[in-house]
Amino acid sequence: MVAYLARRALGALWALIGVATVVFIILHLTGDPTSVMMPPESTRAELDAFRHAQGFDRPLIVQFGWFAVSAAHGDLGLSLRHQEPAMSLALERLPATIELAGTAFLIVALIGVPAGVLSALRPRTWIDYVARIVALIGQSAPTYWIGLMLILLFAVRLGWVPASGIGDWRNLVLPAATLGFFSTAKIMRLTRASMLEILEADYLRTARAKGLTGTRVALGHGLRNAWLPIVTQLGVELGTLLSGAIITETVFAWPGVGRLAVQAVFERDFPVVEAVVLLAATIFVVLNLAVDLLYAVLDPRIRYA
Amino acid sequence: MREQMKRAIVLVAGAALALAAAGSVRAADTTVTISQGVDADTLNPLATTITPTFNVVQHVYERLADFGTRPGDYEPKLAVSWKRINPTTEEYKLRRGVTFSNGDPFTSADVKFTVDWIKNPANNSKQTPYVRDIDRVETPDPYTVHFISKTPLAIPPGLQNPLFIVDAKYFQARGNAYVAEHPVGTGPYVLHEWKRDDQTSFDVNPKWWGGHPKIDHVVFKPIPEAGARVAALRTGATDLITNVPPQYQIQLVGGQNTKLASTRSLRQLFIAFNTLQPGPQQNKLVRQAINYAVDVPAIVKNVVGGRGYEISSPIPPNYFGYDASVPGYKHDLAKAKALLVKAGYPDGKGLALTLNAPIGRYNRDREIAEAIAGQLQAAGIATTVRAQEWVSYSDQLNRRALTPMYELGWNQPSADADGVITALFTTTAPLSCYSNPEIDKLTDAARGELDVVKRKALYRQIATILHEEAPWVVMFEYEDLYGTSKRLHWQPRGDENIRAYEMSLT
Repeated sequence: MVAYLARRALGALWALIGVATVVFIILHLTGDPTSVMMPPESTRAELDAFRHAQGFDRPLIVQFGWFAVSAAHGDLGLSLRHQEPAMSLALERLPATIELAGTAFLIVALIGVPAGVLSALRPRTWIDYVARIVALIGQSAPTYWIGLMLILLFAVRLGWVPASGIGDWRNLVLPAATLGFFSTAKIMRLTRASMLEILEADYLRTARAKGLTGTRVALGHGLRNAWLPIVTQLGVELGTLLSGAIITETVFAWPGVGRLAVQAVFERDFPVVEAVVLLAATIFVVLNLAVDLLYAVLDPRIRYA
Repeated sequence: MREQMKRAIVLVAGAALALAAAGSVRAADTTVTISQGVDADTLNPLATTITPTFNVVQHVYERLADFGTRPGDYEPKLAVSWKRINPTTEEYKLRRGVTFSNGDPFTSADVKFTVDWIKNPANNSKQTPYVRDIDRVETPDPYTVHFISKTPLAIPPGLQNPLFIVDAKYFQARGNAYVAEHPVGTGPYVLHEWKRDDQTSFDVNPKWWGGHPKIDHVVFKPIPEAGARVAALRTGATDLITNVPPQYQIQLVGGQNTKLASTRSLRQLFIAFNTLQPGPQQNKLVRQAINYAVDVPAIVKNVVGGRGYEISSPIPPNYFGYDASVPGYKHDLAKAKALLVKAGYPDGKGLALTLNAPIGRYNRDREIAEAIAGQLQAAGIATTVRAQEWVSYSDQLNRRALTPMYELGWNQPSADADGVITALFTTTAPLSCYSNPEIDKLTDAARGELDVVKRKALYRQIATILHEEAPWVVMFEYEDLYGTSKRLHWQPRGDENIRAYEMSLT
């Protein structure tokens, strides 16, 4: 087990290095932010002074070398826009993102999975049709549009909840619902498909033949065996939600990682983009490991060594 | 007895009423919430260059003087008066008895420190262009400051740019990382709390030299998405929103608690020709033909919903240096076609031009470029639009790589022709794709011309040459749209500046 964890940690390190490198290259090839950071009336000399101070006038490979050395020391540098350490800007916004993503994830798990199971147990009934139509809308309607429609209905027309911003639980309702909608639909469809497959299995027919009730068969034997793909997907969804919901956070003016990321990308604020991407990559790596370890709990046949 | 009793009751009741009234006055602390598209990037006024941040920090920090409502007008702030004592020295008399909110007295040393800090390369400030013209600052006494320039300057160098004065003692003791989050200024408000991307709140500064503003608390609550900003205003969560897209006008005008506020902006939108790169755009006749082919009133009417003002010169009517006698180009397809024949491109044969445009930088920027391309097609000029997001666009712009035509907007808060001409038409300016020794000479002369009448005459000369040479298609100035709650009294300004200390509520 210890050897397994060590191997996984080493793999994770390589993944992070790879991500940081790719992001560095893409960012630096798509534009120099000097002209956006400096006032428009700057002279050539003033622009060059800024470029020089930031090291943008050095060859890309040298810039990468400097970045790699300081990143290895845990220092991603100062944000070009905010003039503050990039990683602390990203970490500062993590609690807001966790609050939103956590709530959205609860919606996904507590609605998506039961709806999928129900839909699989009663195929081609009205329950199934309603669940599938809702899932279809959830997967095909743009998050942006759903968010604005929810704001118009529940905040402007009915006045039940605030239109935007962070605050108490009422501020959380609309963005969490918007963010959770897409993932809920995905999980619901996956659960339904996974369950339908298992319900056809021989051992379930045997269980029913032995006289077990439908519910016990479905939940005790069916869901138990359908779990693995669902848990995998839940892990991925949680990672996606936690790495910052760019559109939802923007529409609802939610002060999370996603909004920071989108601003930083638009302005090529290199250190901040690196910080946000590394943060997201770390979250994914940790969650993947957690999901893999969970497999062993859910399925006693799986053991890691 | 009964009479006395009555009187006593009336007195007591009156006193109770008065007390209640006094109580309610105190309870009804006024708060105004303002929603721009982005949060302040820092609260260090010497480290930023963007308007939304200046709008936030100016509630804590003050300049020597603010821009007034007309070009060349100033409202004295930390300076009470200024005069030129020799061609290269401007003397500012500072306001006495002003203290920073931490109690430190405000003196000339703070002004000098501010300029020196920006100039010091070690601080890597993005504001170096703002103090470029200032050679040095001298402080003959605590309430007198001399701004010394290398050459004579027509515009007072201390007032030209957002030069916010910081507390030298505090700044040095705490360092700029700390100051960026804990601002201390002389202004009407003090910081209550800054929660990034969430809200920045201010309380009134009881020690402000200017008295008590009508608004006790100011909150800046950024909302990036325009539709969500409008929704927040309609629900009463905010009192003022910026950049209202024209399609939302109707919701605000018809709203129960909302209204629309608008003003003519100092921001103009134009198409520039890259005359420094080879191509047909180096031919003056082609440039003139395109000027006649573009129908600006149609664009204003159909693409920006009528929220714009056609202009005929890069020096618009609301700028110093405007001259109504300088001619402009009016839409005239026949003239455009005749000029194309003269230029050797009958019916536009052999012309295939690219019009570069940014995406989402200015109101309807890309759509405007598409409309212009359509109008040029009508004149026989094959035109394709190449739209890009702002960072790479701006980068290419600075390298003069956008060619043969590109769309750009410009806002000069000082409302003086100098900023426009120097930055956009002189040979050495990175944003100029035009080079004309005569314009360079006249621009230099105008910058140093201390006589107002002569300076105006120089700009008339410049505008006349630019009309003939046509390095731009001059188009229009925007009308800025804001949404406000009905209870808010506020007059929008053409320089996009938002001052809560000039607001009141009903």
